[in-house]
Amino acid sequence: MVMSVEQTVEMAQRPTETKLPKPAIELRGRLLDRAPFLVACLMLALIVGIYGSLQSGVFSLDELNLDTAAAMTLMLAATGQTIVLLRGGIDLSIGGMIGLGTVIAATRFTDDASTTALWALIILALGFSIGALNGLLISLLRLQPFLVTLATWSILNGVAMIILPTDGGSIPSWWVGFASAQLLGLTSPVWMLLALLLLWWWFRATRVGIAIQATGSNEKSAFLSGVSIARVNLVTYGLSGLFAAGAALFLVTQTGAGSPTIGKDYILPSVAAAVIGGVSLFGGRGHLAGTLIGAFVLTLIGNLVFVLHVSSYWQPVASGVILLLSVLASSVAEKAARNRVQ
Amino acid sequence: MSGELFESACMDLVTVNGLSKRYGGIVALSEATFSARAGEVHALLGENGAGKSTFIQILSGAVRHDGGSILVDGQDYRPANPDAAQARGIAAVFQELSLIPDLSVEQNIWFRHEPRTWLGTVNRTEMRRKTLALLEKYSFPALRPDQELRRLTLAERQIVEIAKGLAKDPRILILDEATSALPAREAEWLLKLTRQLASEGRLVIFISHRMAEVRAIADRLTIFRNGSTVAAHEANAVSDNEIVTQMIGRHLDRLYPERVSTATDRIALGVKGFSSGSRLSGVDFALREGEVLGVGGLQGHGQRELFQALFGATRASGSIELWGKPVSIGNPRQALTGKDGIALVPEDRRGQGLLLTKSVRENLTLSVIKRFTENGLLSRQKEAALVKEMVDFLRIKAGTPEQLAGTLSGGNQQKVIFGKMLLTQARVLLLYDPTRGVDVGTKGEIFQLMRDLAARGYAILFHSSDMPELVHVADRVLVVRNGRIAATLEGDHISEEEILRAAMLETRAA
Repeated sequence: MVMSVEQTVEMAQRPTETKLPKPAIELRGRLLDRAPFLVACLMLALIVGIYGSLQSGVFSLDELNLDTAAAMTLMLAATGQTIVLLRGGIDLSIGGMIGLGTVIAATRFTDDASTTALWALIILALGFSIGALNGLLISLLRLQPFLVTLATWSILNGVAMIILPTDGGSIPSWWVGFASAQLLGLTSPVWMLLALLLLWWWFRATRVGIAIQATGSNEKSAFLSGVSIARVNLVTYGLSGLFAAGAALFLVTQTGAGSPTIGKDYILPSVAAAVIGGVSLFGGRGHLAGTLIGAFVLTLIGNLVFVLHVSSYWQPVASGVILLLSVLASSVAEKAARNRVQ
Repeated sequence: MSGELFESACMDLVTVNGLSKRYGGIVALSEATFSARAGEVHALLGENGAGKSTFIQILSGAVRHDGGSILVDGQDYRPANPDAAQARGIAAVFQELSLIPDLSVEQNIWFRHEPRTWLGTVNRTEMRRKTLALLEKYSFPALRPDQELRRLTLAERQIVEIAKGLAKDPRILILDEATSALPAREAEWLLKLTRQLASEGRLVIFISHRMAEVRAIADRLTIFRNGSTVAAHEANAVSDNEIVTQMIGRHLDRLYPERVSTATDRIALGVKGFSSGSRLSGVDFALREGEVLGVGGLQGHGQRELFQALFGATRASGSIELWGKPVSIGNPRQALTGKDGIALVPEDRRGQGLLLTKSVRENLTLSVIKRFTENGLLSRQKEAALVKEMVDFLRIKAGTPEQLAGTLSGGNQQKVIFGKMLLTQARVLLLYDPTRGVDVGTKGEIFQLMRDLAARGYAILFHSSDMPELVHVADRVLVVRNGRIAATLEGDHISEEEILRAAMLETRAA
């Protein structure tokens, strides 16, 4: 049977039938997408498992309270870092901001609650402003975020040392007590953790959150869609600075003093926590839940090294190995996902 | 509303006078003029590099003009950014696409205009409803609103980009080569849609290199050349020949070179039982020395997979013989190895073929750097000589070999990729849609080049999404359907009708 051209052409013009991919394949794709996050969960489960078999009382509310408190400074810093990574950038200056924050707190906080609260707000505002300045410099000078934030880190570090050359100062006891305050059996850090997740869930669904992710995913497309890249940078780095300041305010509840150089201990771990949790260094992909799990992993490695009674220098070794493993996991998953798509 | 629309349809919606734009020393637009009415489809024609892209970038707010004036509704128009353009009712469907890979289809469509809840978060139910309504209203081809964009093919992304443009309910919609990435059926749909939009009282500025499309839908057309307007016509008052002559500034005798078969009996590439994934199953064919072998069929039936698998970019099973010797190709490096290897001109030249931020020279010599090394050191003279030879041979229009590839026009970028491929000394060439988004003049040059290479003993496997190209350039045409070769057409049997028939046969049976 021969068809006329008209018939043939008409065939060609028929609307495409709905071709939905098979659910099984879709599920596999979704799992592959979340592979780095799932690997992080697995690691955490493994570490908690080993830890729990060596130490009694690990599976308790007390342990949760303790570990969350130990991880919270890193979690706060890593939350800011996650936003920046999502944008496709990096923020090294949080090291300087954390140090500066603790130093201001240790020299200005008093027993007078209102004065202290005012200074806490000032520190937060300073964090946002300095972060926003980072964003502004990156947009205006068209410089690499790595270089700009490296420079501001150094500057902030210097300022912190001018204010307080050595560790010291004092933090009022009522502020210190905040970290152990309890509600319904959970201490404040656990509540903060929940609040962070809630805040993230909200933030990621707002237009600003989507614009930040989109800019990290493809800056040119975002610009063509009408996103102001300068504004995105301002908000992204501003938030990172704000969370770094928050990390400083929490940190002083544990140290009870200011320390101008303490911030450097959080720069790379904040990136590592995010990467372990599946946040892409190239922007556009990742969730805070992963970062928080990554922060737990890094914190609990310390506990594990302690109960294994080996030299504490094994902790950075273990952290490094875990970081490599998760990067490997995500690259394998990425490859598998790419092959699927062709 | 209708009275107002009717009135505005009679006066010009957009009037452009003396529009100029420079990038450094390069003049992209000089004294361009343009005017278009509401309710019409206005085609914008010109070779690549004629200034069309710059013009629409200015209209859509992506770049700002240096001189001249634009009036929209009789009021001055100088958008500071794409947002400002949208606020005035102007939306563009970009050829390079403005989509975000990590967002879903619907998030992309409504990006920055998402419906919100009282919490300021995206109202997903409302967004889904609006998406389905939009897709339904303009009878879009099937799309899954929740699918992530990076999982879509180029054609599907193009369709999402169109939906995104329409989501803004623009008064002026700019379609920049929107049909070039679409298969025949979807391209046809877009043409109908374009007419529908015009009949709704919108102005559609339509850019395409396919004359038949322009003919089918344009009311009026404006022709650009070298950054200036050379003519504006009522579409039915001008012939194809006149248009082409005005576009290229000289008379083009013919687009397609004479087809003189230079094929020998020697088989350059013999493929048997070739399968890859679910898209390619048991393909057999033989490509001969000196032959241009076309690959046609409806889009999405395995053409892309065939090319990628032959090049070693995706995994495949089956046997391949290259110049009579069995080979296994695991990755592009193996395919390229040796003097008589395989080289590919990929579909997405900006993404896969070309490093936009590198110079013409670097792009040409990147994959053949070994050829200029002596005792481990790079010989600059050798390199320069070969680069010059290639630039001259292909007539690449670049200021110097150091000009960045990203600043060249589309046709010249494609020539650089050809040069890169030729320098590998491969003699089996896989050309996947090499004329996509390339202007008429350069198209002719590319076809001539293909015939010249065939005459020199190269073997060329050639796919084009524009069917007349296959019909006029290929010695034989393989028609692919559902991952198999459905027919091999030769001689007088090569026609659009026969290709379509072979491509559709099974669909009819089903």
